[in-house]
Amino acid sequence: MVIARKARTAGRGALAVAAGLLLATSALAADPIKIGLVAALSGPSAQSGEAITQGLTIAIDEINAQGGVLGRPLALVKRDDESSPPKGATAARELIYDEKVAAIFGGLDTPVSLAIVPIANKEHVPYMGVWAAGTPITRNGAKENYAFRVSAVDVMVDEALLKYAQKHGAKKPGLILINNPWGESNEKGLREEAQKLGITLAGVEKFEDRDVDVTPQLTRLKNAGADALILVANAAPGAQMMKSRERMGWKVPVISHWGVSGGRFPELAGPTAGDVVFVQTYSFFGDQKPAGKKVLAELAKKYSVKGPEGVISPVGVADAYDAMHLLALAIKKAGSTKGDAIRTALHQIDEYPGLIKTYHKPFSAQNQDALGPDDYIFVRYEGTKIVPVH
Amino acid sequence: MKLSLPVDARVAPAESTPRAARRALALYTAIAALAALAALASFFANGYQQYVIAMVAITAIVGVGLNVLLGLAGQLSLGHVGFYAIGAYTCAILTTRFAWSFWAVLPLAGIAAAIAGALLAVPALRVRGPYLAMVTIAFGFVIEQSAAEMKGLTGGWNGIMNIPRPTFFGLQMDEFGIGVAALALLALLLVLFARLRDSAWGLAMRATRDAEVASQSIGIDLVAIRTLAFVISAFLAGIAGATFAILTNFVSPESFPFFQSITFLLVVLIGGAGTVLGPVAGAIVVVLLPEILSFLAEYRLLFFGALLLLVLWLVPEGIVGAIERRMRRRAAHDARADEPRVAAYLANDATRARGLGVDGLAIAFGGTQAVKDVSLAAKAREVTSIIGPNGAGKTTLLNLIGGFYRPDRGEVALDDVALPRGVTHRIARAGVARTFQTTQLFARLTVLENVLIAQRRGELGGLHRALFARDHDDESRALAEALLAFVGYRGSVDRPAGELPHVDRRLVEIARALATRPRVLMLDEPAAGLSEGDTNRLGELLRRIAHLGLAVVIIEHDMNLVMGISDHVVVLDAGRKIVAGVPRDVRANADVRAAYLGEGELAIARSGARKGDDETVLAIDAVGAAYGALPVLADIGLEVRRGELVALLGANGAGKSTLMRAIAGLHRPLTGRVLLLGRDIGLLPAHRIARRGVTLVPEGRQVFPELSVADNIMMGALALDAREAAAEVERVIARFPMLGKLRERRAGLLSGGEQQMLAIARGLAARPQIVLLDEPSLGLAPAIVESLYRTLEELRAEGTTILLVDQMARLALSIADRAYVIQSGRVVKHGSAADVRNDAALEKAYLG
Amino acid sequence: MDLFVSALVTGVGLGSMYGLLALGFYVTYAVSNTVNFAQGSTMMLGAVMGFTFGVTLGLPWIVAILAALAVCVAWGVIVEAIGVRPFAARGSDLWLMATVALGLILENVVLFTFGKDPRGMPASALSAEAFSAGGLRVSVLQVTIPVVGLLIAVALHLATRYTRTGKSMLAIVQNPDAARLMGIDVRKAIVGAYAVSGLFAGIAGLLIAPLFTVSSSMGTLFGIKAFAVAILGGIGNPWGVMVAGLMYGSAESLITAAFGSTYTQIVTFGLVIVALALRPDGLFGRAGVKKV
Repeated sequence: MVIARKARTAGRGALAVAAGLLLATSALAADPIKIGLVAALSGPSAQSGEAITQGLTIAIDEINAQGGVLGRPLALVKRDDESSPPKGATAARELIYDEKVAAIFGGLDTPVSLAIVPIANKEHVPYMGVWAAGTPITRNGAKENYAFRVSAVDVMVDEALLKYAQKHGAKKPGLILINNPWGESNEKGLREEAQKLGITLAGVEKFEDRDVDVTPQLTRLKNAGADALILVANAAPGAQMMKSRERMGWKVPVISHWGVSGGRFPELAGPTAGDVVFVQTYSFFGDQKPAGKKVLAELAKKYSVKGPEGVISPVGVADAYDAMHLLALAIKKAGSTKGDAIRTALHQIDEYPGLIKTYHKPFSAQNQDALGPDDYIFVRYEGTKIVPVH
Repeated sequence: MKLSLPVDARVAPAESTPRAARRALALYTAIAALAALAALASFFANGYQQYVIAMVAITAIVGVGLNVLLGLAGQLSLGHVGFYAIGAYTCAILTTRFAWSFWAVLPLAGIAAAIAGALLAVPALRVRGPYLAMVTIAFGFVIEQSAAEMKGLTGGWNGIMNIPRPTFFGLQMDEFGIGVAALALLALLLVLFARLRDSAWGLAMRATRDAEVASQSIGIDLVAIRTLAFVISAFLAGIAGATFAILTNFVSPESFPFFQSITFLLVVLIGGAGTVLGPVAGAIVVVLLPEILSFLAEYRLLFFGALLLLVLWLVPEGIVGAIERRMRRRAAHDARADEPRVAAYLANDATRARGLGVDGLAIAFGGTQAVKDVSLAAKAREVTSIIGPNGAGKTTLLNLIGGFYRPDRGEVALDDVALPRGVTHRIARAGVARTFQTTQLFARLTVLENVLIAQRRGELGGLHRALFARDHDDESRALAEALLAFVGYRGSVDRPAGELPHVDRRLVEIARALATRPRVLMLDEPAAGLSEGDTNRLGELLRRIAHLGLAVVIIEHDMNLVMGISDHVVVLDAGRKIVAGVPRDVRANADVRAAYLGEGELAIARSGARKGDDETVLAIDAVGAAYGALPVLADIGLEVRRGELVALLGANGAGKSTLMRAIAGLHRPLTGRVLLLGRDIGLLPAHRIARRGVTLVPEGRQVFPELSVADNIMMGALALDAREAAAEVERVIARFPMLGKLRERRAGLLSGGEQQMLAIARGLAARPQIVLLDEPSLGLAPAIVESLYRTLEELRAEGTTILLVDQMARLALSIADRAYVIQSGRVVKHGSAADVRNDAALEKAYLG
Repeated sequence: MDLFVSALVTGVGLGSMYGLLALGFYVTYAVSNTVNFAQGSTMMLGAVMGFTFGVTLGLPWIVAILAALAVCVAWGVIVEAIGVRPFAARGSDLWLMATVALGLILENVVLFTFGKDPRGMPASALSAEAFSAGGLRVSVLQVTIPVVGLLIAVALHLATRYTRTGKSMLAIVQNPDAARLMGIDVRKAIVGAYAVSGLFAGIAGLLIAPLFTVSSSMGTLFGIKAFAVAILGGIGNPWGVMVAGLMYGSAESLITAAFGSTYTQIVTFGLVIVALALRPDGLFGRAGVKKV
């Protein structure tokens, strides 16, 4: 009696497991080519996921309007990683095994990308980074490397930032970095680069994503004699740093990684937003080439973006847009959605006129980063517009 | 190391043994089948599904550990991700940096986490409730941040990559292999959890969870038990973390956010805390649900939150908890009597036994001397009773002897050996057992388990024995049953103790105390709430226990019982011993009569006849009430007319206060009607009854200690509008001049008499139809009582309608118009004050 | 020296924000022994509603503020009704989980309605300079926060000392049964406490918004730190909670000033553990009487 009852409980439990798996695997008809995206769609970094989604969607719609790839339409399958590496790794597995995506796009978080890349390499599915700038994502030491990137690379940005500071007379810059993986990756890069360039750093201070007040950290840097600040943070925390700097009445130059480029930085930081000079791979301000005009028009149509100042993250949109087109090109070239074929085809792309630039041999087996130091421009805000410096 | 439970028939087994064995076997089979099924499913699944199955198993392992802490020991942790992270990092660091084998690292990861658990237990055991929650939250944050900052070791924010997967007999393990290993580990841990739960250690943990104080009173070392629960729990989280590390190949601080701790807690709560399979069900929901919802992309968390709320509403006791509740069958196994066994167990060497010696014990609480230099001797083989009016310090004295309070001075010795001061479990182990005024059984343990765990006196043996050997042999089961039969318990021994009726609780509590093989048994009001027949049987039982060689000490209000069974009676009043001797002498003592009946010079003359018409203000019609299973009132009827002062008399435990609380709406009557001016108020909530004009001045005053005197009175006048209320406060203060001088003083600082006056004043400020006064003279000095009664008499003369309950029966009668005497929840006599005063029923009700 | 003066100024500013939010824990715990564990998300609601009414819809500021506070009060009542009462009535501790779930739901609803990008609340008048300390410009708003925090603590103190409603709240804390006997509706009082708790969180959100960025996740870490502050203060009296807030904020910025920011979180949370180990009822709490 008892055993029978327990067995029934056990049976019910097993059924629950089975039913759950069944639901999770209910794959749709495999007609379109599925393109995966694993990014932060909720939580504090949700806007990065939104920007990438916009760039990818515009590109996919363009491609589909021209008949898709290999006669099949592209379809975007989004998964939320909640900025958590294990969640991202799980989602990547689901996309690969259950959704059978042709490639996976990544989001803002370097650790999530680092958790996904080994899976991509093992399963031979191309991984396309369009935001996270952590150096080891593409330089991961795998024999067959499936990680590609159309985005900045921290070490290169760090070099550019310090060189810019040096050129403009800074002798002893101080680092003010967000306390997260991105900040840490840049801390390493900036320290190494400073040593190479013979620059002494006044100090390295970190602050939290949700810090309201950063004056204690800034005061330490000021007392240590910092004559420039190198900022690595996204728009919201970056703005908090600028507000603290303003309150201290400290007129020190600020040179920033690209984080402040999105998310209404001028609105958040207030009057001193224009004091920040920052790196950018692309700007929707100024004269646009046809591609830029088209993307802006699509943004306005699909997401009611009113002009370039409404683009929540120009870099995320532009990188995702170009990366999607590059990937589609490779699939077409490969004539297949098989991962190794796409990888080889990516290496073979010769020239492609994109939004950010015209790519010449963007990927090779030695360098799977499409963008390099030459693609970085220094800009600053003027009101709500971004204008180039020099 | 034997894992199967032997079904041993050599010793005539208690009937429950084979059934327990069958149930355990069924459970183990179910666990094995479940794990095998999951492994089979994993075999046919793709890499993603294998990964998810492995995650379910790993999460369930953390859940099993947290279940030890929360489900067995009753301690909350909102920082379990810290232990999980420690395990994961230990594995990641040792396997990548030092190339150690995972199989060697796995136990080390558990040990590292366990050490952290032991360290966290130090602060965690000192705090409770939200404070404990905060300590554990802070712990989780410290670990997460440390992982980010200790870059050299942990790789900082970017974590540790490429954690190698182990080989198993030369086979490289993948998601499937790790999943199967995790499932096997989980199955093993579930079996061990089931064994731990039913072992002495598990019983001790559950005992501390159900009744902290009572667990100490049977010799359980609370600190040791709870520390162990933390350590086990942390160990399991640690090995789960290590397995997680090799499954994902990657760890970073962001893998271990605060929210993960909440998720772990959910695993246990959704599954059912304390159940064996609960964490499995919980892990399935918590891991699988988000996967099923993954197509919702950014809306997943929203739906997860909503579904979570739904689950919490629907099955608050957890999924497995709900299933178990529905499946539980009433077992009907009675205890087997075996008196010689009990006698052999409890018999005391009378030549050596000198009993309990108390010498000059004293303790003060915030300036009040609760017990003042009390000395007494309770000899072995004798029943010693401690009596005295409420508030005399009797229970405090018991608490001092038992080590629940640390005395300011004085000594307690057992058989001439001094007992440790203020360490309850050590005093219990030395041979002092007790029962409690309100029974404190381990409610979620069965009757048998309550007694079994007490036999250990806190000596639980090695943990390995608990897990791998058979813990409760037939001998101890037979003894437990014999003890239950000895105290007269006649129900099933497999019932949860929390479901027992009141009488049985008393009996089981005595059996539990006896199971510690004490030399002194102390009982705090054992007869409270018992019927006459039950009380007689109890008296007989106490004599039999004394006869076995124990010193029996009781606190009791039932004078029939006290006078009938005691060898020696000690009378306390206001914390001091006033008389001690044989029952006959004590009964005849004038001081005792004064203390109990308020006899002697204290009597107030009535200053005039009753004012008021014959309208019935309050009528009680056939009211019955109970506390849980304990019936307190049966078919009570009485009425109070306008301007009348009616006294309600009876011994402690007769149900007077319950009736007062029932009228005021604080205790819901089961049957009957309570009519105020002819309208039934029996079902209204207390605050509405108060607003209708019934004011209870509760027992023990219950003034608001932090509010001033004037504000306390203001609280009474809340129903009036602000200006009227202010006027009413002034009027009442004018009525009680002694309060006028104290109006701005905090009520908590007043003396007992002043507080009583304040409580009455507060009650009058509501301009009530009727004032219910519950034990106003309790714990007050005679002079104060006199002035209090003068005030009551004046109020009566002014026409206030009063229903008065007081221990001091003669005093109450001296100012009352009429009186009711109740005994065991029934009215046994009513009539005019004069009639009742001269009736034998009154003295019998009080002094036996 | 300047370093520590300015750190202290910063710390007091931060600490009063924690304290203000922690007062919301205090009012509900005092009356019902429960709290809205996701108090941080109620704070976020206040800021988001203030932005929506004031900036997006362009309502007059006073209207926007009152409307935002009204929403927070309503949310407080909802939390009590569906997240706390169903569990507290059964004597279950699951309200803790239920309020966390409600916070999760609220944050995600806001994420999809308010938007994913953080917004900045304009604060021209309030950000004018009030005074300078240690070379640090202190704006009117930054002075406003501790002032409002202290005013609320004073107001709570005065209300409980001089108003009948306030006193009856205290009465409930001190003796719920006796309070019922005085005709006080304890259930209504608990609902009221949650409404007030929502109000405080809303005020905190509106005050912090101009100094901070408005987004759906702005309250999470704040909420946890405020809980730490409430616990450290002993959740027993408004003063203790406010003072604990100031101490926590000052500790944070002084540790950062002295040792750099690396170990701030570890040290502050570590101190919380040590403080509670030494004083298990909080720094300003009183131990309950051990009953047997």
